[in-house]
Amino acid sequence: MHRKSSVKTAGTLLAMVSLLGLLSIAARGQKSQAAEVSAILAKCQQCHGTAVQMSKLSVATRDALLQGGAHGPAIIPGHAADSLLFKRITGQEKPAMPMAPLSPLTPDEIATVKAWIDQGAPWPEEAKPAPAANQPADASLLSYNGYHERPITDADRQWWAFKKPVRPAIPQVQDPRWSNSPVDALVKAKMEAKGLTPAPPAGRRALIRRAYLDLLGLLPSPAEVDAFVKDPSPHAYEDLIDRLLASPHYGERWARLWLDVARYSDSTGYEYDYDVSDAWRYRDYVIKAFNQDKPYNQFILEQLAGDELDKPTFDSLTATGFVRLGPRVLDRDLENPNYRYDYLDDIIRTTYQSFQALSVNCARCHDHKFDPITRKDYYKTIAVFNGFIEYDHPLVSSEEWAKYQTASDEINGKIKALRQQVTAIEAPYRKAQFQKILAKFPADIQEAFNTPEEKRTQGQKLLVAQVSTVRGEEEQDFNTGAHPALIKVSAEDDQARAKLLEQIEALNKQMPPKPPVALGVRDGDFRFIPHPPFQQGSLGGIVYEKYGFTGKYIPAPGDHYQPPPTYFAATGLMPFADEMKAPIVEPGFLTVLAKPSQQPFADPPKNGYPTSGRRRAFAEAIISEDNPLTARVMVNRLWYQHFGQGIVTTPNNFGKMGTPPSNPELLDWLATEFMARGWSIKQMHRLIMNSETYKMASDYYTGTDAEKDPTNQFLWRFPVKRLEAEIIRDAVLSASGDLNFQAGGKPFFPPVPEAVTSQVPTKGRWEKTEEGPATWRRSIYAYVKRNLKYPMFEVFDQPDAALSCERREVTTVATQALTLFNNEFFLLQAKDLAGRVTREAGGDPAAQIKLLYRIAFSREPSARELREAEDFLKRQTKPGGQSALAEFAHVIFNTNEFLYIN
Amino acid sequence: MNHEPECNCTGKSRRRFISRRDLLFQAGGGISGIALAQLLGSQGLLAAPAAAPHACVGSAGVTDSPFLPKPPHFKARAKSIISLFMCGGVSHVDTFDYKPMLEKYHGKPLEGKGEVLVRQGYPGPLMKSPYQFKQYGQSGKWVSELFPNIGGVVDDIAFIHSAQGRSADHTLSHYEWNTGMIIAGYPSMGSWVTYGLGSENQSLPAFVVIHDPRGGPFTGSAQWSSGFLPAAYQGTVFRSAGDPILDLHPDAGSLSPEQQRAELDALARMNQEYVEKHPGISELTARISSYELAFRMQGCAPEAINVDDESDETKRLYGLDNKVSEPFGRQCLMARRLVERGVRSVQLWNGAVVNQNVDTWDAHNSIVDNHGRHAPEVDKPIAGLITDLKRRGLLNETLVLWHSEFGRMPLSQKGVGRDHNPGALTVWMAGAGIKGGQSIGATDEFGYKAAEQVVTAHDLHASILYLLGLDHKRLTYYYNGRNMRLTDVAGELIPQIVA
Repeated sequence: MHRKSSVKTAGTLLAMVSLLGLLSIAARGQKSQAAEVSAILAKCQQCHGTAVQMSKLSVATRDALLQGGAHGPAIIPGHAADSLLFKRITGQEKPAMPMAPLSPLTPDEIATVKAWIDQGAPWPEEAKPAPAANQPADASLLSYNGYHERPITDADRQWWAFKKPVRPAIPQVQDPRWSNSPVDALVKAKMEAKGLTPAPPAGRRALIRRAYLDLLGLLPSPAEVDAFVKDPSPHAYEDLIDRLLASPHYGERWARLWLDVARYSDSTGYEYDYDVSDAWRYRDYVIKAFNQDKPYNQFILEQLAGDELDKPTFDSLTATGFVRLGPRVLDRDLENPNYRYDYLDDIIRTTYQSFQALSVNCARCHDHKFDPITRKDYYKTIAVFNGFIEYDHPLVSSEEWAKYQTASDEINGKIKALRQQVTAIEAPYRKAQFQKILAKFPADIQEAFNTPEEKRTQGQKLLVAQVSTVRGEEEQDFNTGAHPALIKVSAEDDQARAKLLEQIEALNKQMPPKPPVALGVRDGDFRFIPHPPFQQGSLGGIVYEKYGFTGKYIPAPGDHYQPPPTYFAATGLMPFADEMKAPIVEPGFLTVLAKPSQQPFADPPKNGYPTSGRRRAFAEAIISEDNPLTARVMVNRLWYQHFGQGIVTTPNNFGKMGTPPSNPELLDWLATEFMARGWSIKQMHRLIMNSETYKMASDYYTGTDAEKDPTNQFLWRFPVKRLEAEIIRDAVLSASGDLNFQAGGKPFFPPVPEAVTSQVPTKGRWEKTEEGPATWRRSIYAYVKRNLKYPMFEVFDQPDAALSCERREVTTVATQALTLFNNEFFLLQAKDLAGRVTREAGGDPAAQIKLLYRIAFSREPSARELREAEDFLKRQTKPGGQSALAEFAHVIFNTNEFLYIN
Repeated sequence: MNHEPECNCTGKSRRRFISRRDLLFQAGGGISGIALAQLLGSQGLLAAPAAAPHACVGSAGVTDSPFLPKPPHFKARAKSIISLFMCGGVSHVDTFDYKPMLEKYHGKPLEGKGEVLVRQGYPGPLMKSPYQFKQYGQSGKWVSELFPNIGGVVDDIAFIHSAQGRSADHTLSHYEWNTGMIIAGYPSMGSWVTYGLGSENQSLPAFVVIHDPRGGPFTGSAQWSSGFLPAAYQGTVFRSAGDPILDLHPDAGSLSPEQQRAELDALARMNQEYVEKHPGISELTARISSYELAFRMQGCAPEAINVDDESDETKRLYGLDNKVSEPFGRQCLMARRLVERGVRSVQLWNGAVVNQNVDTWDAHNSIVDNHGRHAPEVDKPIAGLITDLKRRGLLNETLVLWHSEFGRMPLSQKGVGRDHNPGALTVWMAGAGIKGGQSIGATDEFGYKAAEQVVTAHDLHASILYLLGLDHKRLTYYYNGRNMRLTDVAGELIPQIVA
C-alpha cells in the first residue's frame, strides 16, 4: 500500500521537476526544493522506504537519512561530496544507485540533491512523518548507526555443535573382533548400517611401518621391524604404540599439525617479510607440549593467556606467541591504525578457527550470515584482545634481566652522548652537503627554498616541507634505524670524530649479551607506543596523539591497569573522533555459547601483573567442560590426521557451512572420553591406534564396499594416505641414514637454488646453504618463510602460512614428479641410501635389493620383484653418474609404496 | 639447478634442447609402452604418433588431472588471459590519462579535495607532466610520448581510467589487484581462473608466471599463490633463461637420459602393481600419469618458450633487436607462444623489487628518470604482442590486461617525482572481443581521484571472469565456513567491457 502511494507521488512530482528544470536551483524556495528532493528520493523508497529497508536504510525522512543504514549515515548536511547518498547516486561508490532496473538519476536530479545537501538538507516540518518504529524489543541487544544486533534464540542453540556432547550408548556388535573397543563398536555399527564389510587386519610389517610414519614420521629400521614381527607377546603392538608415544620424535611429527592450524612462520610476510628470529621458541614449545602430553586444556590456556596465569612459566610465556604469529606488515603501522584492527582480525579468526571451529571473523562487518554469531560478538572478542601488545618476555629471572637492563642502559646512555658529539661535529658539513644536494633539485624547488619563509607561496611551502622531510641525511634510516654513512670532514674534525667513534666501538663491545626472550604478548596500551626513530616493528597509532590521549604503553607492576576501550564497529579507517562516538563494547564470550556469568568478563588478575585477565577469562570459557566445541574439535583433528579424513570433514568449521559429522556418536564418545581422560592427546592416540579400525589392512577391496561407499568415508578399509611434504623428506633422510637428529633451536635453511631466492625481494632472511648434515635435520626445523616456500614443500601442498590451515590438500601434479625425479636432494639421498645398503649388505645384488626393500617398505621383495630388480641392476651398471644401486634407490623414492602410508 | 649460460639461444644449449626433445619423444614412447599402454591403450590414444609436434598440445590422453578442461558457466569471449603487471605504480597522468589542467595549475597546491594524504612526507604542489601528449588512431586517444608504439594500437585497446584501489602500500595493492583482498593468503586471479577452467594443454602448467629477469615483484610468489585453493593451482614460474621450470631436468651428469628412461620404466611397473593392490583410488593412477606428464613437460616447456624459431620480423616486432626492450619482448613473445599452446593464464611482470626505486615503476625520485627508463622496456613488446596476436587471429580469443598496483599523484614529490596514488589508476584491456578505442570512466580534472564510474578490483575481476566464461558469483571454493569468491561479496561487471 504504502509503496504504491509513494511511487504515485513520485510520478506526479517528477513531472513537476521537469517543468522546473529550467529554473536555477538557488532561485527556488526551500520548500519546493525539499519537495523536489522528496520526489527524487521517492524513487529510492522502493527499496529504502518505511516498508522495505535494504541495507537497513530508509530515505523516507531526514532523520532516517541522518541515521543512515548498514554503511553509515546517508547524508552529511552541508557536505554533499562526502555524503554516501551523493557518492552512490554519482557512482563514486559502489554499487551505484538506484540499482537496475531503475534508471540512474539525471544530471539535473543529481544537481538538485547535491545542492540540497550542501545547503544543510533542509526538510520542512510538515513533510516529516512520524519516525518508524523498528527498534528491537530486547534492550540488551545493540543498536547503533543502522546496525541492529540479531537476537540469539533457543532454536540457534539447537545446532548440533552447540549442544554439549552426550556420551552415546555403545552398540552391541556380534563380531568379537569389533567389540573390544567402543571406537570399534561405533565404527562397525555404522558399517553394518551401511552394509559394508570391513577389511581384515593388516600384517605386522604393514602395522609397524604405518605406526612409525603416523606417530614419528620416520621409517622403522629393519631391525625394529624384525623384532616386532618376531615378538611373541600378545601385547607386542600395544607396547609398540607406547614406545613410539614415548619417543622424542613423536612431538616433531605431531607439532606440525598444530603449527598448520596456528599459521606458524619464521617471518612476518608482506612486503619486507622480516625475519622473526625467535619464533622458533614457540615451535619448540609446541613440540615439547606434544612430547610431554600437556593436557590440551592447559595447552589452550597457555597460548591465549600464558602471561595471565596464576604462576606464569617460561613455557607459558613462550606459548603466547600464538597471538603474535600472524602475518604483519610492520611498516608504517603507526600511520595506519587500521593495520592493528587487521592484526586483531587475524587473531580472532585464527583463535576461533583453531579452538572452536567457527568463522567468527565473518561477523566483522555484519552479523554472521549463517551462524548465530553477531557483530557485537566479534567486538566483544576484540575487547578481549584489545589490551595486547607485542612483548618480548625475558626467559631469565627478573634479577638477571634487571642486571642486564641496568648494564645495557648505562652503556647506551654513554653511547648516546658520544653520538651527539659526533652529530655536532658533522652538523656544519651536513648543512653544506644539503646545499649541494639542493642545487641538483629543479629550479622551482631551489627558488622555494631561497624564498624567505614568510614570502613563500602555498605551493612553495609544500615543496619546502617535502624536501625537508625526505632528505634524511641527519636522521637514522627510515626503515632500519641505521645511522647515516660518515660524511667527509676536515682532518682535524676527523681526528676528533674518530676518537669518539673508537669510544663508541669500545662501549659496544662491553655490551652484555642479551638474555633469551620469548616473542609473546602481554597487556598494555597500543595507543601509547613510544616512537622509535624508525618505524619497523611498531604497532599503534600516531593518530591517537592528535586527540590528546596520554597513557602508558607498558604498565608498571603495581599500576592499576585499564585496557584501551573497544568501540563498536571501529576499524581504524575512520577518524578516531567518529569511531569514539560508538558504544563501548565489553569483553565477553560468544552469546550462543556463553553462560550468563561469562558476560562480560570481569575476573581481576590474580598473578600480581598489571593485566586485565580478559584473555584468561576467554580461554577459560573455551576450556570449560561445558563448552560443546573444544573437545570435539580437537578429537576430530586427531582422527583426521590418523585416517586422512575427519568425522567432520571441515575441521575448522563446525557451523552451518561446515559438514555434519559422519558418525556423531563416535565424535561425541571421543570428545567425552578426551575430557574424562584429562584432555590427554596421547591417550587418544592409544585409543585410536589400538582399535581394529586403525589396524585394518589397506590392500583390500570389494566391489560392494566400493560401490556403497566409494570415498571410504565409513572406513571399510584403512585409507592409504600420501605422506605430507615434510614427512616425505624426513622418510627419505631416515632411509638413507643421513637424518641429523639435532632437536630444537634455531631453524635451518634448506638449500634453495638462487634462481628461486633471487626472485624474492626481502629485507628478511634466507641463508644460502648446501646439502649436508647441517641441512639434514628434520623438516619441522626448516625455516618457514612466508614469501618463499622451500620448492619441494611447495609442490607437495604445504599450506600458505598466512592463514590457519585445517587440512592439507593432496594434489597430484607433474611438478611433483619433476621434483622427486630431478631435484638434487633426492638424487643425492639415493646415492647415500645405496651407500648405506652396500655397507650393510655387502656386494651381493640380491642381498642389496632385499635390504633396500626392508629399509624402504619394511618388507622383503617377492621372488618376481627380486628378479626384476636384479635385471635392473645388471642393465643399469655403467661407469660414471649414479651407480645402478643408487638409481634403483632413486626409483624407490618415487614409488607409491614409499610415499604413502599403507 | 641449471648452471648453463643464461641465454638458451647458443648453439650449445640448442643442441642440448634438441637432444632432450628427442629423448622426450623416444621416451614418451618408452613409458607409454608400460604404463600408458595400460592406462590409455583401450582408448586408442596410443595411435597418435609419439613424435608429432602436437604431443605438446591438447589433453594428450590425460584422464585424471586437476587441470583437465572444465566447461565455462557460459560462452567464453576468450580462452586465455595474459596479464601484464607493471610493478611499482605507473603514473596514469604521464601515460594514458591526459590532464591539461595540470599545466595550468602547475606549482599550485591541490585544493578543494579534502585532506590530501601521500605515502611519504607532505603533499607537494600540482605538477604537470614532463611529457608531451598526442592523439593516436581513429579513436584519437591521447597518449604521452612514453608509449608511441602502444599509441599505434590504441584502437584495439579499452582504457579504464577510473580504477581505484584501497591501499597506498605496494604490497597490499599488489594483493588487491591480484587476489581482490588487501591482506595476504588469498588465491590469485590466475589460480581462480585455472581452478575454474582447467587448461587446454596438459603438457604445460596451466598458469605460467614470467617475472622480470632482474627479480620478482613485491612479495614474489605470494602474488601468484593459490591461497586456500589446492596448491596445484598456484602459478608456475617460467624463467626466461635456462630451463624454464625448476627441476625440469636433473643436474648435468647426475642422470643420463637413458638412465632416466630405465628408471621411469621400472617405476611405472612398481606403481602399477601398487595400484592393482589398492584399487579404486584415482589419486594413485593420477600419480602414474603425472610422471608421463612430467616427462612430456621436459620437452614441451622448453619448446613452448623457445623463441629461436620465430622469424626475424617477429623478433623485431617484439623489440628483441634492442637491448632495452629485449627482456620484456622475450617475455611477451613467450606469452604468445604459451597461449597459442592452450595455456590458460599467463602473467608477465615488469619491475623487480631488489632495487626498488630503479627497477620498478616506483617513481618517487623522478618521473623522467624512472618512467623514462621503464616505458621503452615495455612499449614495443606490448604493442608487438597485440599486433602479433591480432594478425594470427588470436587476439579475439585472448584477453590482454595491462595494469599496475596504483597510479601516481598529480602532485610533485621533490619537484620531479610522484608519490603513490591508489585513488586513481589506468588499467587497460585488449582482445576478447572488447571494443577497442574506447575510454571508460574518468578521473577528476587533475587525475587525483577516479570521479566517474569508479572501477574496483572486484569489478575488474568480475569482468575478467565474465570474459573467460565464468560467473564471478558462481566460481566459489569452500574455505573457513563459506564459499569464497575472487570478488569477495562485491564486484559488478563493467558494462562497456562486457558489452
